[in-house]
Order: sequence, then structure tokens, then C-alpha cells
Amino acid sequence: MTIPIFVDRLGFRRGARDILSDVSLSIGAAEVMAVLGPSGSGKSTLLRIILGLVAPDRGLVHLDSQLASADGRILRPPEERGLAVVFQDLALWPHLTVRGNLAFGLAAKHLPADDQDERIARMLQRVSLHGKQDRYPADLSGGERQRVAIARALVLEPRALLLDEPLSNLDVALKRELSSLLKEILPERRVTTVYVTHDLRETMRLADRFAVLEAGRVSQVGSLDDLLVRPATAFVRTLREDAGQA
Amino acid sequence: MTLKRAEEPLALGLAGAVLMIAALLPFVFLVVNLVRAPAELSAGLALLGSREPWFAFLRSVASSLVVTIASVVVGAPLGLLLGSTDVRGGKAALILHAFPMFLPPFLLALGWFYLFGRSGLLGGSAQTSDALFSLAGSIAVEALAFAPIVTSLVALALQNVDPSLVEAARVAARPWRVATRILLPLAWPAAALGALVVFALSLSELGVPMFLRVRSYAAAVFARLGAVQYAPGEALVLTLPMVLISVALLVLERRLIGPRSFSVLGLRSAEKSTLPLGKWRPPGTIIAWAAALATLFPFVGLAWRASTGIAALGDWLGSGVRNSLVPAAIAATLLTGIAVVLGRAIALGRPGATALDALTVLAFVTPAAVLGVGLIGVWNRPATQPVYGTLAIIVVGFVARYAVLPTRTFAIAVAHASPHLEESAAVEGAWFLRRLGRIVIPLQARAIAAAWLLAFVFCLRDLETTILFYPAGSAPLTVRIITLEANGPEPVVAALALVHASIVAAALVLGGLGLRRRKAE
Repeated sequence: MTIPIFVDRLGFRRGARDILSDVSLSIGAAEVMAVLGPSGSGKSTLLRIILGLVAPDRGLVHLDSQLASADGRILRPPEERGLAVVFQDLALWPHLTVRGNLAFGLAAKHLPADDQDERIARMLQRVSLHGKQDRYPADLSGGERQRVAIARALVLEPRALLLDEPLSNLDVALKRELSSLLKEILPERRVTTVYVTHDLRETMRLADRFAVLEAGRVSQVGSLDDLLVRPATAFVRTLREDAGQA
Repeated sequence: MTLKRAEEPLALGLAGAVLMIAALLPFVFLVVNLVRAPAELSAGLALLGSREPWFAFLRSVASSLVVTIASVVVGAPLGLLLGSTDVRGGKAALILHAFPMFLPPFLLALGWFYLFGRSGLLGGSAQTSDALFSLAGSIAVEALAFAPIVTSLVALALQNVDPSLVEAARVAARPWRVATRILLPLAWPAAALGALVVFALSLSELGVPMFLRVRSYAAAVFARLGAVQYAPGEALVLTLPMVLISVALLVLERRLIGPRSFSVLGLRSAEKSTLPLGKWRPPGTIIAWAAALATLFPFVGLAWRASTGIAALGDWLGSGVRNSLVPAAIAATLLTGIAVVLGRAIALGRPGATALDALTVLAFVTPAAVLGVGLIGVWNRPATQPVYGTLAIIVVGFVARYAVLPTRTFAIAVAHASPHLEESAAVEGAWFLRRLGRIVIPLQARAIAAAWLLAFVFCLRDLETTILFYPAGSAPLTVRIITLEANGPEPVVAALALVHASIVAAALVLGGLGLRRRKAE
């Protein structure tokens, strides 16, 4: 089951600095929303608040109309939100094999071993990693590790998927390969997706809508056309220029 | 130009030469002396042919293993609790819990004795006293003294775990599963390193078994260097099984832990991901604080017994404090100098550095009795009396035994820094000494201070190395306390123990404040 996500007037402060101010976004069920912004704009913090890893100082997070976080409190802990995440550095557990990485979340859901095996085999087949289930992350290539991270997130059949700059550290060829995989797999799974990145080109053919975060505030929300035709800020114009060069 | 090119190998060669004189020569002496004295060798081998020394040896190894297992069983979960969960006051509890590891364990044994001995504060019965003065009592005292080593290493390792590894797990599983399936396995190299250190220290431990009247192999070697049973040849041969253990520990460290310790420990102040305990937070806090305070409990006994001895301290202190502080400070400074050159070379994989690193590990894991016998053999000669007859021999002993601590501390700091910082200076034409003075040392000042502090407190806590060869009339405080314990007034012994603990605490507080200030800068 895929769900809508609604964040309402989120505020988050660290020391004297406002990381997020009055951020409101509505992401529909099965929609792919790209959250764009320069470094330090609060993109990753927004993602961590949606995941329930940190509580917002102010504002609300609704998952499928249920209140998950509100004004400094986490009402539903991360493991009960039914979300999955792919971090920029992938965060593959180095002491677990590929199978172990995929099985961790399934076992936490108390899924019978046979079901786990079946799901893992199917998912590894889907991301072209069959036969590599007994390898450790250190024994895989960069692209394979990336695919394990995506498989680990999707094998849980999450209600929503959050991607934190998943392609930012890759070379051009790998970026293209993984981008194609995401382009195939996300519509196929019909999972609500929040894709955080600073590079519009990564999400141009992937996202349904785009939100731009600058200095912790939402500066524009709209379709790709909106961004390209009516850029609201200088930063969005830069994004447009970069995208034009692609 | 040629000399400048040779700066780095020369500096590494100098550090290596100091280490080889201090740490390698004693081992060479042991081997050469056995080969050159076949009569002593055969007499010693005959001794090793009897059951008694082997029984004592196996008993010591077994009790050290039990101490190690107990330390890991207590220390690893506690490290997890204090290092990565949201227990209240976790940092303070960790600092208090860790403090006893910087003290000689027999000071804690004294504290337990003043609590549970025949005339103790809480004891007074033969049962509690008998329990303390037994092998089980000795194991319990050592385990409580050494468990903080495992706790601290595990907590440090967990604080350096990439937060996204924890967060990726938290999204999928409850905190308990994250702790047991992700965090504890990630911390195993630290726990294994802690286990190895505890085993080596426990096998070397002289003070606790001597005080609690428990037979130990290290004490048997020590006894043959004393006036009553003086038989240096036998002592030499008796060290052979311990050398085998040292080599086994070295192999274990090289194969299993060595390279991983670099990813485990560091001075990085990375962003930390805290595991929320939820409804388990109050009991978690109680457990963490109870465990932390349990290791400090002996100080209640020491303080109680010392209350009537403090007034007489002046008459008994002698030059003990000076004899502790001076060699410890000189050795720590020398060791830090070696650490800067060797630690950097290890981190950058320079030729020869790995062999020197192995030598420092070997000298640390080797029971102090073995190193001590070797040092006596090397330095107790007419020509070397200016060293052997003065505090200098204590400095040599410290350099031999504790080089690994500051060296690894500095190596880890360098390994975590960007190599490009020094490489850019090299590209701009700065030779080794200039790079060291202008780039490495200023950037790693905090690591250097931490390395010095660690070396200093470990030199201060030493008993088992220095007791074998301290110069007459120059006993360090630890030696003075254990000798007075046999025939001195209890309140004074307790007061001296508190003086020692206070000196170490002051060094740690001042050092800690200095390190915090540097971090803030």
C-alpha cells in the first residue's frame, strides 16, 4: 500500500540557525516528488523528520492522514512508519551479506523465513544481483552496492520511499545505469517517493512534481515546466541552466 | 638536498632505534642468554619439566581468560548503553566508570578489602574476607578493574559509527534489534581489542594476586628476582611460556584486530546517532549508573580507611610522588615524540613502520615480568649503572612497554585526516621536518595532547614493570603503596592510595579540559 505524505509548517532549529522554517508540502500517494536545493538548504533534515529520526521543533507530519510527528514529539517511531530510505552513502551494513542486508528489515517484521527467501530472491533478480546474495558489501562494485541499497529499501514493500541524494557520488556511467533502474522500478512499484537531490537532471524524467528548498524555506513547488518556464528564484534559474546543458 | 630527502627515513630510523634499544633488546637478551648459558637453560628446562610451574601457568592463563570474558560480558553491553543510547547522564557515567582503568588494580583491591575485609566497613565476617582472599575474589576485583577498558573502547567505537548505518536500521527495526544486530557486531573489533588488552594486563597483573595472596605465574617469576628465592636463571626460563602467549597475542592482534582498530577508534567528533530507549530509558539509566558506580565503590572503602591516615601522610609520602611523576612525564614526552613520527608512518604505510608497530604491540602484550627480566639483563651492568641505578631505567621500561598506546592514538588521528593536507605542502616544496612542524603537528595538536595524556597516566598506573627494577630509594608511589601494604599502617596506605588516585584524576581532568578547549578552537 502506498500513502500520501503531508508536512505542515515544519520548523527545525539547531543552535542559532533555522534549518527549516515553515515548510509545508503535500505529496500524493504513488507520486514521485523531487526535493531540490543547494547544500545546507535543509533537504536531508526534512527527510529525517519524515522518517521519524528527529522530531520537528514545530509543525506536523502526517502519513496517510495519521499524525506521525508534531511540535517536538515523535508520535510514531521510525520502525512503525512503514517507510524505507536510501542514503547518500548507502549505509549498507558491512558485517552483513547482501542477503543479510535485505533480510534485516524483513526479519524485524517477523516474516516467515520462506517468505523472506522468496522476497529476497525476487528482489535480487529484479535488480540483477541474483547469485550475489552471499557477498559482503565490500566485495561488490559501486553500482552493485547502489543496487543492493535500492533492493534493501524496496524489499520491505514500503508505504513510501525516501531517497537522499542516491546518485550524487557516482560517475556518469553509473549514474545513468542507476537512473534507468529507478525510472523502471519506481513506476512499477507505484510507491510514494521523496527524492532529495541538488541536481535537477537526476530527477527530470523521474519526478511528477518538484519542490525547491532554499535556506530552509520552500521557494517553489510545481511541475518541471513550472520550474523551467517560471523560475521563482535565482537558484531555480541556475537549476534550469544546468538542466539545459544536460 | 640529499639530507632533506633523508629527513623522513632518518626520523623514523631514530624512533625505531629508541624502540629497539628499549623494547627489542630485552627480548634479544632473553634468547641470547638462554643460548649462551646451557647449564641455566637445562636447569630451567628441568624446572619446566615439573608439574608445578605449568599448573601455576595454566591457572594464571585460565584466570586471565575468565577475567577477560567477564570484562567483555560486562563491558560490551555497558559500552553500548553508554555509547549509543539516550540514557540520562551517559557521558558522565562513562567518565566515572572509566576512571578506575587508569589506576593500578591493586588500589581497587585495597578499597574492596577496606569494605569487605575482616575489619572492613561492610564486612567484618570471615565469609566476606575469605571470598575476597580467593582466586574468585582476585578474578572479580580484576574484572571490575578491567571491564571499563572494554566499555570505553566499545563506547568510543560506537560513537564513531556512521550515523546513517544506524538510521537505516532504525527505519526498519526496533531499537533492541538495531542494538543487537547492527551496533554490537559493528563494535566487535573494539570489544576484541579490549579483550586482548584485558587478557594481557590480567596475565601481567602482580599487585592484585600478591595482595589477595593468590598464586600467580607472574608473581612466581617476580619472586625469583627477589631476595628470598633469588634465581634469575629460573626466572628467565619461567618467562618462556609467557613469551609464547605474547607471540600468540601478537598474531591475534595482527590477524584479527590491527587494521580494524583504525576504523574503530578515533578522535573524530562525528555527528552521532542516538538510539532512543523509550520506556526502557529509566531502567537503562539505573543499570548504566549502577554499573558505573560499582567500579567506583572501592573508593568508599579507601576514603573511610584513610580518614585517620591523612594527617600522617607527610611522614610516609617520601619522594614517591616525585618518583612517579618525573619518569612518567619524561617517558610520556619521549613516547609522544616517537608516536608522532612512527604513528604517522604507520598511518601512511611507510616501509618499516609495520614491523615497528608489531614490536610496540609485542612489548605491550608481553607480560611485564618477561620484559622486566629482559630489561634487568640488558641494563644491570657496570657500564650502564647511570641508567640502571637511576630513574632513567624506569623511563626505559615505560618506553618499552607503553609505546603502542600513544603511537596508535596518533596513527588513528592521522589515518582519519585527509592525506592531501600534507601532500599539498610537499608539492609546494616543504620537506619532511617542515611539513611535520608546520602542518602535521599543528593540525594534530589535540591528538598529540591525547597521546601524551594516555602515555602519562599509563606510566603513572604502572606497578608490574617498575617493581622489578626500580632503583633503591627511588620507589614510585605505586611500588611504595604495595610495599607499605605488607607492614605499614592501613590508614596511611589508604591515604597514599587516595593521593595516587587524586594525582591521576587531576591529570585526567586537566588533560580533558585542555583537549576540550582545543576541540572548541
